[in-house]
Amino acid sequence: MASTTITKAGGVKLRLYGLDWSPQMAGLSRTFDYLVAAILILAIMAGFHIHAMLTIGDWDFWVDWKDREYWVTITPVLLITFPAAVSYITWEKLRLPFGATLCAVLLVIAEWLTRYHGFHLWSYFPMSFIWPATIIPGAIMLDMILMLTGNALLTAIFGGVIFALIFPATNWTMLAAYHLPVKVMGSEVASVADVIGYAFTRTATPEYLRMIERGTLRTFGGHSTSVAAFFAAFLCIFMYLGWWYLAKWLSNVVTVPNRLKKMMGL
Amino acid sequence: MIGTGLLAGVTAILSLTAIPAQAHGERNQEPFLRMRTVQWYDVKWSTSKIKVNDEIVITGKFRLFPDWPSNLPKPDTAFLGNGTPGPVLARTESYINEMPMIQSTSLEIGRDYDFKTVLKGRIPGNHHIHPMLNVENAGPIVGPGSWVEVAGSAADFKLPIATLTGQKIENLETWGLETVYSWHALWLVIGLFWLLWWLRRPLLVPRYKALLAGKEDELVTSTDRKLGVALMGVTLLLVIGGYQWAEAKYPRTIPLQAGKAQVEPLPLPTEQVSVKVKDANYDVPGRSMRMTLKVTNQTSAPVRLGEFSTAGIRFINHKLPVAVAAVDPGFPKELVARTGLAMDDDQPLGAGETRMIRLDLTDTAWEVERLVSMLNDPDSRFGGLLFFYDEKSNRHIANVSGPIVPTFVH
Repeated sequence: MASTTITKAGGVKLRLYGLDWSPQMAGLSRTFDYLVAAILILAIMAGFHIHAMLTIGDWDFWVDWKDREYWVTITPVLLITFPAAVSYITWEKLRLPFGATLCAVLLVIAEWLTRYHGFHLWSYFPMSFIWPATIIPGAIMLDMILMLTGNALLTAIFGGVIFALIFPATNWTMLAAYHLPVKVMGSEVASVADVIGYAFTRTATPEYLRMIERGTLRTFGGHSTSVAAFFAAFLCIFMYLGWWYLAKWLSNVVTVPNRLKKMMGL
Repeated sequence: MIGTGLLAGVTAILSLTAIPAQAHGERNQEPFLRMRTVQWYDVKWSTSKIKVNDEIVITGKFRLFPDWPSNLPKPDTAFLGNGTPGPVLARTESYINEMPMIQSTSLEIGRDYDFKTVLKGRIPGNHHIHPMLNVENAGPIVGPGSWVEVAGSAADFKLPIATLTGQKIENLETWGLETVYSWHALWLVIGLFWLLWWLRRPLLVPRYKALLAGKEDELVTSTDRKLGVALMGVTLLLVIGGYQWAEAKYPRTIPLQAGKAQVEPLPLPTEQVSVKVKDANYDVPGRSMRMTLKVTNQTSAPVRLGEFSTAGIRFINHKLPVAVAAVDPGFPKELVARTGLAMDDDQPLGAGETRMIRLDLTDTAWEVERLVSMLNDPDSRFGGLLFFYDEKSNRHIANVSGPIVPTFVH
């Protein structure tokens, strides 16, 4: 991808991706990479994190909100958005198959920063109560499928489905320990997560605000998670395509004709 | 630039000199919420000083006031909370009428309920602790608050529990975290590896120009694709393997519990004293509430008025020993009006007798507790409880509520 050659005049030329570059220009271009990367990393991290907080919010903040229905459905559907949009830019303009992974990694870093400093140090919530979920495996799958197919539609269909389906499986490795049954106050059965949520008071978030396990999916017995995941997978196909094309539309450079110029007779 | 620096400097100074919040803004709750929704009474704190891991028990009763504001939803879904500065104490038990209250419940207006909350010291400090009832769509309704000092070190805190599968959890604060940290670290490493694989190469302008020049094969090589396929395989293997590992380690799990608890109210009293407000007035310059009441004793024994209570503030008839004795020594002094309850006729009200009684409740508490703003409410009503006692110290609680007229000038 990069090689160095000596010209007849004794100059040095760099060959980057099949094109010749002078060392000075290549150096400047690399500096530009660093500058843009620093800005983009902060922008994507902040943007994606605030999107996650505003749309998924409590479902990801608290261990006693990570249920089989809403959390499993809402999280992948709303978190495939930024990865799709960023992938449009990184793939279509630069052939970089890492847009989704970049978003996922930055989101997880931002979440750990806020959970630790904002929720734990500032507000005294124990880490066992507030750890975030991860979408990195799903994001890796999205990037790989995009790289191998080079096609947004196929990525939406296969990548979107896998992204949603592996979300609960990925996070169950961390969540299972919090779903052990316990008996509290002599007669009540609760999961460990329920007890953690009960013990460490969220003063203005009473129990009834938890939007969990309310849907009729409970009639599917032990298969609520699978049904919710497949529904999320279906929605993820459209969300991926929607945000891909949103990024395409937003990345168009638009110019406005200078009417004043015409009026001035120029 | 200078402006930004100045702003940052001022922010830094303000944050360094900021005084920590002393309570929860309960005084900011509008009087109609505090006077006409949940009337807390007999509230007791078992102690005012504990060490980390020690327990404090808060007990008492509350009545869901019959003159419930029409603009508020009824307490069809309510939760017994605790007004604390976040989780500085861990809640280990809570009951309404002896029913565990880990879930929300439905309550009945006009009825009384017992409550009990057990809290365990966790974060050292001086904390203001209230009982609290959260009512869906009406918000948190806090009861009287008392200062509780928690001494010791937060690092010593432990909240152990045993699971029904036989596991002993030593501390819920740290349970499961090793697994959480390990998996997050693993996925972060894999994600960062994939990013660095690409970021180490020239990125933006060279790639953009090469793409325009049709050098696509140079941008994504066969090595990249092979690595991608390998990474896909590793990712899927880890996800499936991790899931299987968790299922094997924790074969018996249950979903989050989301039911609603059922609780019966306390039985209705067989005898009562009925009270009708003939007129009520709040004297703004005099900080005094005056009311004329038509009181009918429907019990079988003479009674005397011992206390008026509203929004957690208590006006005690100092001439009635049983009423004075009803104030627990641990009850916050600032919530007991110093001047107490004055009335024009303190003679016992005979069984079956009806009499007009004029009450005078003068205290700075009206201002300090910001209850004067009831005069700015759109419905200009007040509410409270009157505690009558007979000779055998039996207590009869009557509701009192009605419109209130302000006196702005004498």
